[in-house]
Amino acid sequence: MEAISMLVSAAAEKDPNTTGSGLTALGAGLAYGFAAIGPALGIGNLVGKSVEAMARQPEAAGMVRTTMFLGIAFTEALALIGFVVFILLKFA
Amino acid sequence: MPTAIVTQLNGHVVQVRLASETTDTTAPAALESTATETEAVATEAGATETTAATTAPNPIAATPNELAWTAGSFLVLFVIMRYFLFPRLKKATDARYASIRANVEGADQVKSDARSAVAEYEAALAAVQAEAAGRIDAARQTLDNERTAQLAQVNARIAAARAEAEAATAQARAAAQSQIATAVATVVTRAAELATGRKPDASTVDATVKSVMESAVTR
Amino acid sequence: MLALEFPEINSLLVWKNLFDGVGFNKIALIAVLATTISSLLFFFATRKATSDAPRGARNLAEVIVDFIEDGVIMQTMGKEGLAWTPFLLTMFLFIYLCNVPGIIPFFQMPATARMAVPMFLAGLVWVVFNATGIKHQGPVGYLKSVLFPPGVPKALYILVTPIELISTFLVRPFSLAVRLFANMLAGHILLVTFALLSEALFQAKDKALIPVGILPFIMLVFLTSFEVLVAFLQAYIFAMLTAVYIGGAAHPEH
Repeated sequence: MEAISMLVSAAAEKDPNTTGSGLTALGAGLAYGFAAIGPALGIGNLVGKSVEAMARQPEAAGMVRTTMFLGIAFTEALALIGFVVFILLKFA
Repeated sequence: MPTAIVTQLNGHVVQVRLASETTDTTAPAALESTATETEAVATEAGATETTAATTAPNPIAATPNELAWTAGSFLVLFVIMRYFLFPRLKKATDARYASIRANVEGADQVKSDARSAVAEYEAALAAVQAEAAGRIDAARQTLDNERTAQLAQVNARIAAARAEAEAATAQARAAAQSQIATAVATVVTRAAELATGRKPDASTVDATVKSVMESAVTR
Repeated sequence: MLALEFPEINSLLVWKNLFDGVGFNKIALIAVLATTISSLLFFFATRKATSDAPRGARNLAEVIVDFIEDGVIMQTMGKEGLAWTPFLLTMFLFIYLCNVPGIIPFFQMPATARMAVPMFLAGLVWVVFNATGIKHQGPVGYLKSVLFPPGVPKALYILVTPIELISTFLVRPFSLAVRLFANMLAGHILLVTFALLSEALFQAKDKALIPVGILPFIMLVFLTSFEVLVAFLQAYIFAMLTAVYIGGAAHPEH
């Protein structure tokens, strides 16, 4: 998060007079921030439920863990796309 | 090691002072070298020199040289792995697993052999024990018989001895009685002779003495 | 306050060529090293066959192979997927050894944080899983099983078919590449940020700021150990998703 805010502030400082650049930086920050909300909830829910399942049935822990990692991978992709959009808006 | 990073974006120079004052010495040089309308030039003293030519490369774009080197490395690794290294590893692993399995099976064989030997031994032991018990029983039987026989013999001897003794006693008593009877008869005869002057009939005396003695004995 | 400015991002990602002409930069060096190290590991592992318990390089190689077979293939493709072990093993080793330089001193750059590496690997996976599907089910059968998944009411195909078309042929390779790339790039930028912050604070003109530098430094150490985990996890997830895609193309009923 610090990295993001620092990048955004760096972007804003470079061209303080250009509104377009500032808006781009703002958009970049918001893109990542909003993109992280859904996956954050999703991964929290996913891992919580997986831990619950593993606690209930420790003998199925291996299978649950594999599925959990797959689920995390799919959910996390959304946040990462947001991060890429941020990089694109900011640097490209 | 002093590290300084000089960044220029849209002709707007940003100086970065991170490690030492070298920034100040490199900044003008960088400024001169990229004074045209370059978008961004990154200079890292000691590590990276100017990388961008006219436009800054997109940070998330794939560059052809990296793509080519990656593809080459990966495919070379895959071919080596697929056709040389992995089959060799798998062969060695399988051979080891097979030998372990053979060892385990051999151990099973040995174990079942040992188990059958133990069963055999136990059967033999049981037979021997049964035989020994039979022998012991027989010996005991013989012993018992002998003892009973001896006991009977001894008892018989005792009974014989006792009968003999009893016979001797009875004989002695009879002898004594007859002697007593004779004596008594003699005495009675003499007494009667003295009293009556006549010798009593011997048979009468005898009968009288006998009856008296018997009554005395029975009494 | 601090004379701190985040450096231009290309100075963190774009490396000059080590030699002239062939485009051999740090990323290429890492890729070549990944190949070399993996090959050497397996070469030393297979140099002499032993019937004893495996030790050293052989032990490590067998642990990795077991991990791929039991942790990736058996979990996703089942027993018939074991023929894919060399491919997934190569995939896992290559990605892991491209990730891990991000935390190795003097490299300090995950090769997978450059789009070229994940893009190539995801493209390769795309080709491989489509080829597997076509090989196992024929072109028509494969397209049919992808676009018209069984067990869906007929009317819903209007909705399902375009979604499946996009998700299988476009989103899969895209998300596969972006997941690996963005994870490693984000980790790299985070490490750079905290390293720069601690360095700036440790060398601050204002002496009162120097002890504060311990905070970003602690964060830097924590993030470095976190990146150890991420390097492994991303290689594992990439290999597992590859296995899932290939397994799904080979046996659509799963």
